[in-house]
Amino acid sequence: MLFWVIAAILTLGASLAVLLPLAGETKNTSAAGDHDLEVYRDQLAELDRDVARGLIRPMEAEEARAEIARRILRLSNAGPAGTTATQRSTRLVATAAVLVVPLVSWGLYGQLGSPDLPSQPLSERLAKNPADSSVDELVARAEAHLAANPSDGRGWDVLAPVYLRMQRYADAVTAYRNAIRLDGDSAARQAGLGEAIANAAGGIVSADAQAAFEAALKLDPANPKASFYLAMGLAQEGRTAEATAAWQKMLAALPQGSPWRGAVEQALAESAARNVASEAPAKGPSADDIDAASSMSPQDRQAMISTMVAGLDEKLRQNPRDEEGWMQLVRSYAVLGKTDQARDALNRGIAVFGADSDQARKFTAFAASLGVTATE
Amino acid sequence: MVETGHFALVLAFALALVQTVVPLFGARTGNHKMMAVGAPAALTGFALTALSFVALATAYAGSDFSVESVWENSHSLQPLIYKITGTWGNHEGSMLLWVLILTFFGALVAVFGGNLPATLRANVLAVQGAIGATFLLFILTTSNPFVRLNPAPIEGRDLNPILQDLGLAIHPPLLYLGYVGFSICFSFSVAALIEGRIDASWARWVRPWTLVAWMFLTGGIAMGSYWAYYELGWGGFWFWDPVENASFMPWLAGTALLHSAIVMEKRSALKIWTLLLAILTFSLSLLGTFLVRSGVLTSVHAFATDPTRGVFILCILTLFIGGSLALFALRASRLTAGGLFHPISREGALVLNNLFLTTATATVLVGTLYPLVVEALSADKISVGAPFFNLTFGPLMVPLLVVVPFGPLLAWKRGDIFAVAQRLMAAFAAALLAVLVTALFIDGASVLAALGVGLAFWLICGAFTDLAVKSGFGTVAPATVLRRFAGLPRSVFGTALAHLGLGLTTLGIVGTLCFGTEKILSMHAGDTVELSGHTLRFEGLYPAQGPNYSEDRGRFALLGADGSIAGEITSAKRSYPVRQMTTTESGISTIGFSQLYLSLGDEASDGSVVVRLWWKPLVTLIWGGGLVMMAGAAMSLLDRRLRVGAPSSRKPAGAVPSASPP
Repeated sequence: MLFWVIAAILTLGASLAVLLPLAGETKNTSAAGDHDLEVYRDQLAELDRDVARGLIRPMEAEEARAEIARRILRLSNAGPAGTTATQRSTRLVATAAVLVVPLVSWGLYGQLGSPDLPSQPLSERLAKNPADSSVDELVARAEAHLAANPSDGRGWDVLAPVYLRMQRYADAVTAYRNAIRLDGDSAARQAGLGEAIANAAGGIVSADAQAAFEAALKLDPANPKASFYLAMGLAQEGRTAEATAAWQKMLAALPQGSPWRGAVEQALAESAARNVASEAPAKGPSADDIDAASSMSPQDRQAMISTMVAGLDEKLRQNPRDEEGWMQLVRSYAVLGKTDQARDALNRGIAVFGADSDQARKFTAFAASLGVTATE
Repeated sequence: MVETGHFALVLAFALALVQTVVPLFGARTGNHKMMAVGAPAALTGFALTALSFVALATAYAGSDFSVESVWENSHSLQPLIYKITGTWGNHEGSMLLWVLILTFFGALVAVFGGNLPATLRANVLAVQGAIGATFLLFILTTSNPFVRLNPAPIEGRDLNPILQDLGLAIHPPLLYLGYVGFSICFSFSVAALIEGRIDASWARWVRPWTLVAWMFLTGGIAMGSYWAYYELGWGGFWFWDPVENASFMPWLAGTALLHSAIVMEKRSALKIWTLLLAILTFSLSLLGTFLVRSGVLTSVHAFATDPTRGVFILCILTLFIGGSLALFALRASRLTAGGLFHPISREGALVLNNLFLTTATATVLVGTLYPLVVEALSADKISVGAPFFNLTFGPLMVPLLVVVPFGPLLAWKRGDIFAVAQRLMAAFAAALLAVLVTALFIDGASVLAALGVGLAFWLICGAFTDLAVKSGFGTVAPATVLRRFAGLPRSVFGTALAHLGLGLTTLGIVGTLCFGTEKILSMHAGDTVELSGHTLRFEGLYPAQGPNYSEDRGRFALLGADGSIAGEITSAKRSYPVRQMTTTESGISTIGFSQLYLSLGDEASDGSVVVRLWWKPLVTLIWGGGLVMMAGAAMSLLDRRLRVGAPSSRKPAGAVPSASPP
């Protein structure tokens, strides 16, 4: 509302700037000749000064004086110039000019402007009620607070997992380190730090991350995140058997409702598939996927895993000659408990390569190890 | 506030349309009411543009990321000064600054133009309004700084780190004051052509605007050169970069215009030259704007690129340059000839000066545009660098500099070159002495270098000779000399200062190019290096944290003759995380007029650092000369002559007194 009032006042002011001179009295203005005469007089005076200073010789000065005098004579001969416009054309132009200002400005602004969008200086956005703020704004607010009070350990502690979820891993690492430095060790912080370091490196569990996870386990031997990632580190080093063992141990120890069960099962499925072939062309869930799965609700996680498996299934329909892909698909369905689909996948895989092929025999043996048989 | 600014800008555009049409129509029909619209429209237009600019600057200062250009060019962690200067550190904002200065000059004409003939004032304001309207339309349609984002991002993308420097606060505003200041000369010329006649006082009104614009442009170029020198870390002061050329061409043409206007106001001669130069100078300013703003160049001046903008500016160029030159072709023949003069005279010298300067401008123009033409025709990317300009621009400039001291000493109408040469004997002897001293006593000085030093001293002593001759030194009693010296017109001091500044800049350039030394080496902490008699010890690298960057600061101790620490130089490599860019902050120590310039390279794995070290003798004179030239222009502005041309208030208005020479 205020904006429209200001806009109206500005328009009024601009229109008046055009209207007033048109409506006012004609001022008597000096003719151009007066200006010229002043200049010529000064030129004459300056000529005298130049002669005195020796900048022009007397003979040339005389010539110059004559030139200037001729110009002055010509000046007084020149008559007044200019015609007078009729009243009507004046009024026409005046009306058009006064109308152009509001019409053009409001018309063009209507096209270009965003009158309903208020200014949003950062400080104002950060000062408003937190309940109305977006996550981004809350984070920015926390950052501003921490920039002013960098020794607020609790602040870092709150911010760190948020960074992790926003995938700002490098910031998460800093935040976790600060929280640990200021508020001391805890299993959750160390495990979070490890997760942040691993994710910042694209999911690779580096020595730094490993150290953090080990520190977490020292504080809380049952910390599932630390155990999970340490096993993942083993798998990444190619120590698949140890990794599988660690995950299986986790599975046994985890309570039934734990959100980590799904992630562990997924990891086991993948590592089993890797076990058969060290490199799978049709890839299963990546470390990021698993990480995302581990922080989801059980339902969401289930849905995500189903989507990934369905994606693999689809890929194999388009590129059927993918040996490892088929085994992974069978494995996935088996782990998910979908025995029928696992059997279907096995049969389709066998059909692709032919029932007598080496691959078919390999599939059958592999499926048998999972408790799946080609026929009922 | 943001939308108020946006609305004010649109309103300024509407008003500029009225300012273009109504006074022009009034001047054609002799309607004083319509002519009177120009001044209030120009003043209000300036107020609205200023409001708009303040609104944008407020958005920048307050990190309002709901404005797209703020989001793209600012960050909440930047220091406040860079938040504010960031307003014009990008395409949209800098165009708004451009138009702000344009309307500012229009408002100045409205305020101080009370003594102009009504039709001339109306026409000038109309032309000024036309330029303003086209550029406002350009801003609103292709480069609107007030485009909003909804929802607003929480953090901006940061200002280009190279621009996060105090130089950005000074260089563009100065440069634009110069560029755009020439628009007034342009408007005056086009107004004169529209009227088909030039008043005797025309040159007196144009000259102060030319002086103001030239002064700011000189300062802007000098400042830009120094900024590039210390910020880019290459140690060069001029790169013949197209963006630099874009500002240099109007300067060369503007210098010619300045000299031409002197002849015109004193002798009513060179009218055509002056008009043409005024048109050319502003055309070159527009061309510079086109080169920089359209994105046809990719240079160290990292700005936005967008083809629609280029085409739009090209249309503006065609309209104004083509239009004004066509008008010139139609009307130039109607202008009356001025005072007569012999080839050897002050007038003749100034024509020679104009010829040299316009040719030099053309040379730079060719060197700047040729690569673009080649690229457009054959898709080859070539660059015309320093060698081209050294071969063409240099040989043009040297003879011009040689004759500079003669100019102010020549008499009007008919000069005596031998008498002038006699008066310059002392200056010539001083220059010769400088050549001999340089050649004999400075190691490694080539003949060319010695001659360069001589040329610089010739210019400097020539400027002093000018003052000495004009105050009658050697011909009258010392007391009279002092009195006459004090009584010299300010413009004489202005001339002498400007020519002195030219000499100082020449000396700085020759000194740096011919006697500078350079070393590149790898240093460990504790190592010492010696360059041209100065010993530096590397103290080590220290990390430091800035508001929005982190840096590795290399500390160097400048050692005195006895090994004690005489000073410290710090150079740093800065890393700006938001843009993922690194910059080199050079370390500079000024010793007399010379500088020790140091720039850090990369750190090797063994902890050693590549260090580039330059000794730049007399380098500060390059920009110091620019400041002296600015002082000269300011001095000339104070001259009483520039205030003549207004009918004095004692006389009744409208009366034409009888023409009798006093």
